[in-house]
Amino acid sequence: MNETTTVLVVDDSRVSRLMARQYILSAKPQWTVEEAATGEEAIAKAGNLCPVLILIDVNMPGIGGVAAAEQLRTSCPKAHISLVTANVQNATRAKAQEMGIGFMEKPITEARIHALIDALALD
Amino acid sequence: MFNLSELQHDALVEIFNIGVGHAARAMSEIVNEEVTMSVPSISFLNRADAAAMLGNKDTSRVCGVSQHYEGAFSTEAILMFPEDKSLDIVRLMVGESVPLKELTEMEQEAMSEIGNIILNSCVGTLANIFSQELSGSLPQYHVGTSEEILTASGGQANTVVLMLHIDFILEKHQIHGYVAFILDLTALQDLQEQVDRYLAKVMGSA
Repeated sequence: MNETTTVLVVDDSRVSRLMARQYILSAKPQWTVEEAATGEEAIAKAGNLCPVLILIDVNMPGIGGVAAAEQLRTSCPKAHISLVTANVQNATRAKAQEMGIGFMEKPITEARIHALIDALALD
Repeated sequence: MFNLSELQHDALVEIFNIGVGHAARAMSEIVNEEVTMSVPSISFLNRADAAAMLGNKDTSRVCGVSQHYEGAFSTEAILMFPEDKSLDIVRLMVGESVPLKELTEMEQEAMSEIGNIILNSCVGTLANIFSQELSGSLPQYHVGTSEEILTASGGQANTVVLMLHIDFILEKHQIHGYVAFILDLTALQDLQEQVDRYLAKVMGSA
């Protein structure tokens, strides 16, 4: 029945969540975008949502994006997880690579979101 | 007083120039228009004078976003805009479709996020150039005069600091802002060490 494709956007910045939502829906109007403001909230929500894609900020209050992504990788093994961060340091990119997850540089732009969605070739 | 050799000074300006170039690109992606940035200027002065130097240009209220970085060297990075332009910047960021009421509600948080992106873009580039890692605090948002913002970010008024200061302009909307990096003398020694390692590497004498 409920076969909607869900994306989970995790960011403590409301404006970043709003922009991500806007650009995801401009590419895939039929998708559902869910939001979480912290890593903890994302972990609590993700189990029920089974998102295909999780976009997660790094620098957030609480456990932060990297630790949350570690846990989400286990609880949502099918989800594609990508860090979305202003932290453009090679060290952060390397961390994402080590964990086998994606890395997207902020600011969140329509071009970056669309490129990611295209690359994942999801319906 | 602390001395940088001509070569160290030159390298520091050049490295920050690259960082600022990345920050300008990030800023331009946020507001969808051309952003021009000045060459960084370096001054040694006490905090009170640093505040006065920034304040001279603009006596009106500004909104500032600051972040503290630790690692290979520590610094406070501050982004400042005239307060009366911040809503315009947020509008440029989120587009016309968001209603004004919602825009006003998210103004402070949007400015924090803009500060976060721009400051990290610059500091992250520096970290990459030095092959080091710097970790940043969450962005802090302040409104006040430049002096209030500079003192809100901590430190005694009479301590000597190094200030790297860069002006930037959103050409189309004629919005002027600036980015400043403040380092105390210990941090400056650490930064100088990084600059020396960088120079050794680029000049092939490492």
